[in-house]
Amino acid sequence: MAVVRTDIITDTAARDAYVHGVNLLKRESTALSTTAFGIPGPPTVVHTYDLFVIWHHLAMTSPVPPGGDWMVRNGAHRGPVFLPWHRVMLGLLEANLQRVLGEPDFGLPYWDWSADGSLAAPQSARIWKPAWMGGQGRPITTGPFVFNAGDPNSFRVRIETAPDVTLRQVDRGLRRAFGRPTGSLTLPTAADLARTFDTRPPPTGDPDLATYDFTPWNAGSRGFRNQLEGFRGPGLHNQVHRWVGGDMGPASSPNDPVFFLHHCNVDRIWEGWMHRHGRSYRPGMTASPALRGHRIDDPIVSPLGPAATPRSTLDPTAVYSYDVLP
Amino acid sequence: MDPQALTTAAEPAALADYLAGLPQPPPDHQHGPARSVREDAYQGHRIVITTTYEITVDGRPLPAHVGVSNDGEVHCHALPAYQVRSAVDIVRALIDNFPDDFPEADGDPGHGGHPGHGGHGEHGGG
Ligand SMILES: [Cu+2]
Repeated sequence: MAVVRTDIITDTAARDAYVHGVNLLKRESTALSTTAFGIPGPPTVVHTYDLFVIWHHLAMTSPVPPGGDWMVRNGAHRGPVFLPWHRVMLGLLEANLQRVLGEPDFGLPYWDWSADGSLAAPQSARIWKPAWMGGQGRPITTGPFVFNAGDPNSFRVRIETAPDVTLRQVDRGLRRAFGRPTGSLTLPTAADLARTFDTRPPPTGDPDLATYDFTPWNAGSRGFRNQLEGFRGPGLHNQVHRWVGGDMGPASSPNDPVFFLHHCNVDRIWEGWMHRHGRSYRPGMTASPALRGHRIDDPIVSPLGPAATPRSTLDPTAVYSYDVLP
Repeated sequence: MDPQALTTAAEPAALADYLAGLPQPPPDHQHGPARSVREDAYQGHRIVITTTYEITVDGRPLPAHVGVSNDGEVHCHALPAYQVRSAVDIVRALIDNFPDDFPEADGDPGHGGHPGHGGHGEHGGG
């Protein structure tokens, strides 16, 4: 049965379930320790939520194709597979939340950040109130993910990316630093999002946005994917990571539960695009083998095996839909 | 997308085993100066540009993967959502994003006070 994904600001039941489910997954032990993932230090049990932190980091450090240059494009970013890979990741988190909550019809909520970006003071938006995600700080001191060193059940960051792009163990509270000058002073606005759907001729719009992606299929490409990923145009997805700051900056950004709400909105914007332009994807299989991992029938870096390809993610309606598309 | 396949793959044991089996980056891939290679084809000619960054912060070498893309913008793999015009800006962003790795210097409680940076016009990669 397909679930419906809703706005976390208005659907407080979904909000409460999400917060509860995240904290349950944070406390749920897996059978493996940090050693199994090559993380230095004493072997420490890895919890289910933190698998998603490891996965995101490893997908980033997986050059695609194998032996390629991970600085150019990797298994999850800087190329066409950006949207399919994150769609699979959200699907697996949503399934885990459904399981620990015992609610098979739970749908992951989204955070419509462009609505907040249009506010005079986005840092005071409802998403950062104690009943939602809590506010900023090093560490944050409000909301459901506050760290208490003496309470083993409190939310904590246990695994993070180091500057040299290795994983390391930590035991600390979650950090956010809104609007830093080295990050982004602003969130994307509703007008920025509207530009992403404006395919009129220039100077008003950009007809290339009607096409999913273009050669050279990287962070310099024209087209919708790179506009939404944010290496071109107003910055959208990337800008949100940079504005929130703290744990949303490094490759271990799934450490902040707002990561999944953010990416759910990114996925919703992709659905909005497909609603306008069809469930299309590029590049096809005639593209160079150097693009292996990003072509439509290539396997995604995911536990779903070779069956999970970009093509297989294009129509998610058997799994979920959104209450409202942008 | 197949809901049943998703549910099966989402089992923590399945996800954990899958991730533990992924190739881990070689342990010493981060040593030495950060090197990036740009390749281009133009008018039948093959262009290869290798850029090396040797960066220190407080006199210590910075073990970060700083690279430059074909359009001359600089990024660092540890910060996937960043791509900026200047290598100086990416190092500043690293300092802000990894506070544990760059403890606050004595007598300099703020940021932005590092000498030798004239603003945003400097192209680290160009
Ligand atoms: Cu990501």
